[in-house]
Amino acid sequence: MRIPTGHRRIAVTGIGLVTPLGHTTADTWSALLAGKSGAGQTRSFDASGFTTTISAEVKDFDPESFVPNHRLLKMASRSHGFALAAAAEALADAGIAPNEATSARWGLSVGAGMLSVAYDDLRVIEKYAVKDGQFDAAGLVSPCFPANPVNFCRWQSNAGLGLLTRQFGIRGYATSVHTACASGGQAVGTALKVMRRGQCDAMLVGGFDSMINPTGISGFCLLGALSTDNDNPTGASRPFDATRNGFVLGEGAGFLVLERWDAAVARGANIYAELAGDGNSLSCYRITDSPPDGNGPIQAIHQALGDARLAPEEIDYINAHGTSTQMNDRSECAAMTDVFGTRVAKGGELRVSSTKSSLGHLIAAAGAVEAAICCLAIRDGVAPVNANYAVPDPDCDVALVTGAPQHGKIRAALSNSLGFGGSNSSLVFRHPEYPEEVSR
Amino acid sequence: MSKANPSIVFTGSGLVCGAGSSVAEVWARLISGETSVTAHERWDTANWGTKVAAEVTLTPRDLVSDRKLHKSIARTDMMGIYASEQALENSGVLAQREGLGEAEVNAFNDRTGFIVGSGGGTYTSNYDYLGLMHETACDLPAFGRELANYVTPMWLLQNLPNNVLCHVGIRQQLKGTNACITNQCAGSVLAVAEAALAVATGEADRALATGHDTPFEPEMVLYYHKLGLLSDATPRPFDQSRSGTIFGEGAGAVMIEHREDAAARGANILGEFLGFACVSEATGILDLDADGEGVSRAITEALAQAGIGAADVGMICAHGNGTPASDLTEALGIKRAFGGSIPPVTGFKWAYGHLIGAAGIVDLVMTLEALRQGIVPGIPTLGELDHRIAPFPVSATPTAPRSNIALLICRAFGGLNVVLVVKGAS
Repeated sequence: MRIPTGHRRIAVTGIGLVTPLGHTTADTWSALLAGKSGAGQTRSFDASGFTTTISAEVKDFDPESFVPNHRLLKMASRSHGFALAAAAEALADAGIAPNEATSARWGLSVGAGMLSVAYDDLRVIEKYAVKDGQFDAAGLVSPCFPANPVNFCRWQSNAGLGLLTRQFGIRGYATSVHTACASGGQAVGTALKVMRRGQCDAMLVGGFDSMINPTGISGFCLLGALSTDNDNPTGASRPFDATRNGFVLGEGAGFLVLERWDAAVARGANIYAELAGDGNSLSCYRITDSPPDGNGPIQAIHQALGDARLAPEEIDYINAHGTSTQMNDRSECAAMTDVFGTRVAKGGELRVSSTKSSLGHLIAAAGAVEAAICCLAIRDGVAPVNANYAVPDPDCDVALVTGAPQHGKIRAALSNSLGFGGSNSSLVFRHPEYPEEVSR
Repeated sequence: MSKANPSIVFTGSGLVCGAGSSVAEVWARLISGETSVTAHERWDTANWGTKVAAEVTLTPRDLVSDRKLHKSIARTDMMGIYASEQALENSGVLAQREGLGEAEVNAFNDRTGFIVGSGGGTYTSNYDYLGLMHETACDLPAFGRELANYVTPMWLLQNLPNNVLCHVGIRQQLKGTNACITNQCAGSVLAVAEAALAVATGEADRALATGHDTPFEPEMVLYYHKLGLLSDATPRPFDQSRSGTIFGEGAGAVMIEHREDAAARGANILGEFLGFACVSEATGILDLDADGEGVSRAITEALAQAGIGAADVGMICAHGNGTPASDLTEALGIKRAFGGSIPPVTGFKWAYGHLIGAAGIVDLVMTLEALRQGIVPGIPTLGELDHRIAPFPVSATPTAPRSNIALLICRAFGGLNVVLVVKGAS
């Protein structure tokens, strides 16, 4: 085969965010820097009977005010609404969008949440197709069963992809990935590869998820993965703190616009950062846990640095996966220590934070939202805080940003996403004015 | 490490579907014209418009020897593990690894990629909550309180879309670049393409690509039928009277390496990956370009990446799912791309149904076998060709390919078209 040759340097020129901290990038970023928390008592349904009653919800969100397309939104689930709004913001921010001449060269890569049928849809099944407490297929073809093909289509694995390509007229490469909590990071990494191969000139890339509903949250409650600090929602997510006891489930979407560097420069685009490197490994250890010695995440970080042609010494900020579970945070610290040594030890010059401490865990959207946060951190020269950190854990003694955001130029930033199932994604973003020649 | 024109080859394959659990078994079906679509007994089909499917009849023990795993994963995952391990085993890479020292084994594992196309989950898995909903009369606080008494703590882990990635990874220590693509019918062929490109660009030294899905379940049958996509009998792709597709289930897998690595250990080379394209029609979840523009654009781009012309293509394995709209627009797209000189066209869904997330990769495994045999299997359910596409080179009986290069088309919800170009071993 002939390896297609694309363009090595890829620019991030647009960002869109819908998160528990705000419906836009500006609102999310300012709330994050102000130390606000997106967590609270769950409002969208009565969660009082569940072991965890708290979550980080996107509040008072109306997708139609961001994407005035009533017909399309009828097909959209809650997470699709987040995705459409965040993607629209990212394209508007970039000041470029697919048109008739360019649409076939525009691509889309998304990390999408897993199929979990809405509680209300499941209630319909329960009402018409349950006999003696068991599912009874005959109920589906009874004359009174209110079959709803629109709901069915909405839960297809790539429904969000189809709505996004339609809304924005993207006619090139389009893919949807799901590696649990690593999905968003892997979607961004996939886009980098597609663009470097020259299969697209520009791409919309992101992640979206919403599992804050009775069936979605049940899976995590059953596993015991969520913090049960129901009386302290804003302090419940405390990555790397010795008393951490699980994550806070969030929801939302994050999108980036990627362009060929030369094309972005030529049109005078605002370039947040260069998407410089992608690393990707499989831990092959356990389904929920990352290995205590960091074997797996270590390879992903090294690959991302190598792909970006950067030395570990050139990374100034790490947006950690930092879920606030015992095992994840320990494994990730072992990996960071292995790669970055004394620079990442407590008091070292590297700055580390998990913004899940403020945003909660956005699951399939997390990696994309955190990629966007790395770009904003580079733009403003500020590392967001690792909130709620109080009690040191000897296994997590890393250079955390605590108390207040820390200012100072960020030459390059690393974003880690480590998923259930063992997929690890690391992304490296480089400051647009930090030249590649300096590094190697 | 990447070279300008690498030769990326397939060195092992595996599959399981209604038509069989080995290439030889499924090939025998394709040549004999005997479908595996039959009346099913998964549930009582009285009042159902569709009473047939192409089911996999193997038991969990047939699929995965480790019985401890049976309770912790879904049926689709078992099929994915089965096909993956079949491909790994018959590629000879596992035997190669056994001969290495510890440091070399670590490097080997870190440089072995694994890309999976997954159906993404089933509606049925959510029915595990129905008993609890029933008992608590849909009272949410009670639902929350009683949750742990009705649903297994492992529910989420049993139903992760990326379970095949995780479990084959753990069993076989494939630690390199990876992805789980949940892109409906496009997932498994994109997995092949991304695995091939990972090897070609030096991201991995070798990579396994797997696709798996079990779309045959009540809600899928109900809604595909309501949407006019499902037939009541064996699919009749490109036939004037075709009325829809029929569900199958299963998995396929291929091992992908550099030709020189495969040759160095004397591996059996099944074929070569030449190129691919993925294009969107931007038409929404269900709609299709009426004139097949997306299909033709994908074909043209894939041929360009492969560096060959339309005249070099020896056969086409079409998506041919048997639905009125998809077959029509696919045929129009093929005609646009190939002009007056279309090679023999076939499709295999009449034999093992539509495997949705696994459809493309099982078609690929069988296309490689067709090239090896030098035979294009026919579509025995074809009676009268759709008038709107005639003439069109499909046949009810086997024909000969005009070269050992095949083009494979895979179409998905979301207006997606993926085309692979592969060369046979012979």
